[in-house]
Amino acid sequence: MIRYWAICQRDLLATWRKKSGIYQPLVFQLLIVTLFPLGLGAGAQTLAKISPAVVWILALLGTLITLEHIFKDDFEDGSLALYVRAGLSLPMAIISKALAHWITTGLPTVLFAPIIGILLHLPETAYGVLMLSLLLATPIFSLLGAVGSALTINLRSGALLLSVLVMPLLAPVLIFGAGAVLETALGNSAKGHLLLLSGALILTITLAPFAAAAAIKVNME
Amino acid sequence: MNKLIRLYHQIGSPPSFYQISGYFLKPLLSLAIVLFVYGLIDGLFFAPEDYQQKDAYRIMFVHVPSAWMSMFIYALMGLAALITFVWRIKVAEAVMMASAPIGAAFTVITLITGMLWGKPMWGTYWDWDARMTSELILLFLYIGVMAMYSAFDDDPRKAARLTALVVIIGLVNLPVIHYSVYWWSSIHQGSSVKIIGTSGIKDWDMLRPLLVMALATKFYYGYSMLHRARSYLLKTEYKKQWVHLILGLHETKEKTNE
Repeated sequence: MIRYWAICQRDLLATWRKKSGIYQPLVFQLLIVTLFPLGLGAGAQTLAKISPAVVWILALLGTLITLEHIFKDDFEDGSLALYVRAGLSLPMAIISKALAHWITTGLPTVLFAPIIGILLHLPETAYGVLMLSLLLATPIFSLLGAVGSALTINLRSGALLLSVLVMPLLAPVLIFGAGAVLETALGNSAKGHLLLLSGALILTITLAPFAAAAAIKVNME
Repeated sequence: MNKLIRLYHQIGSPPSFYQISGYFLKPLLSLAIVLFVYGLIDGLFFAPEDYQQKDAYRIMFVHVPSAWMSMFIYALMGLAALITFVWRIKVAEAVMMASAPIGAAFTVITLITGMLWGKPMWGTYWDWDARMTSELILLFLYIGVMAMYSAFDDDPRKAARLTALVVIIGLVNLPVIHYSVYWWSSIHQGSSVKIIGTSGIKDWDMLRPLLVMALATKFYYGYSMLHRARSYLLKTEYKKQWVHLILGLHETKEKTNE
């Protein structure tokens, strides 16, 4: 267990030293969110109407741009092969790397989401559900992203392919997540959506590490 | 050895697969053509007019069989992918990679014919209806599968195994995507227009061309898939002796003999 925590810590430290990994997705979200009022007109009502979807899609895209690097550096310098050599279980190592990715990109995204919400006039009642739904969904982004990243590990420019692979898998998550925020904004209960989102999270935690491990094994052959 | 097991092993080996599948190509193609011609003529000219949609419903004879095929082929591709991933049988790889473009083509046909039908019936080419959306996502899955394979041009076997993994992940997710899209759509709006289901058709004269077309697309898929799988095997096994024998590359054969 300590060894897996060490992997996670090492990743956290590496991202912290580089910094850009943390603020890049946030800056990206801020840039894109500025484009919406510019394109749609700054009417508060129009923006409030689309805000649940936009906040959610931005969180998704923000994570998507960081996914490529979950395994790439470790694969290229041979650390991944070392983990396998040292007898570590690959799915567990993947979970710790996904955890590190979540702490450095998912968690900041969750904390940053209310700011984007304010910029888009998100109805006040929806902030709690917004953060809760993102808290449930950002680990799914990291885990499914780990699968995509593991599949494209060997490619020099796998960014587009990674999006093509991951996007259909994330469609249900977006439906339930943005749906939860939308329902709350309309004054309905979002319980059903949030429960389905939790179900999706549990399903992903149980299946994704094994899929990613299988992909890494094929790539290391 | 048991005859059945022996047959199984024979089909699994590329040279005998190549030979056996060769006998099927012409019958499959001629069956497909005959049924296509019959089904289209029957469907377009002799099937009775729909009392509500008039002649516009006739696009169904192309649309519905294609939609069936788009899902049927993904299921078959998933089976081939499982075999590829677990037992690493080369013929299964060939079947999987041969199925992907055909499935994608049927998905595109489904979407286009659906759009053409939607314009006169719904008044719009595209509506984010649950069926349309999940069909579109299915197309993305097919594109992902093909893109995954073509990204690795240096090592086709590794590419095939990774692609098999992508197909399997898609197969697990397909029901999740399908149902979530249905729930999503039902949350926002009731289904404004019901697409005709086969259960709704009682008239045999209408049903017959539909079933004939469904058979025709199956045979066409069989022909096209085998043809593609054969050339896939030739391409990936081009260094092997049996390919040289078939293609009559005597010079290279002599060289390998020396």
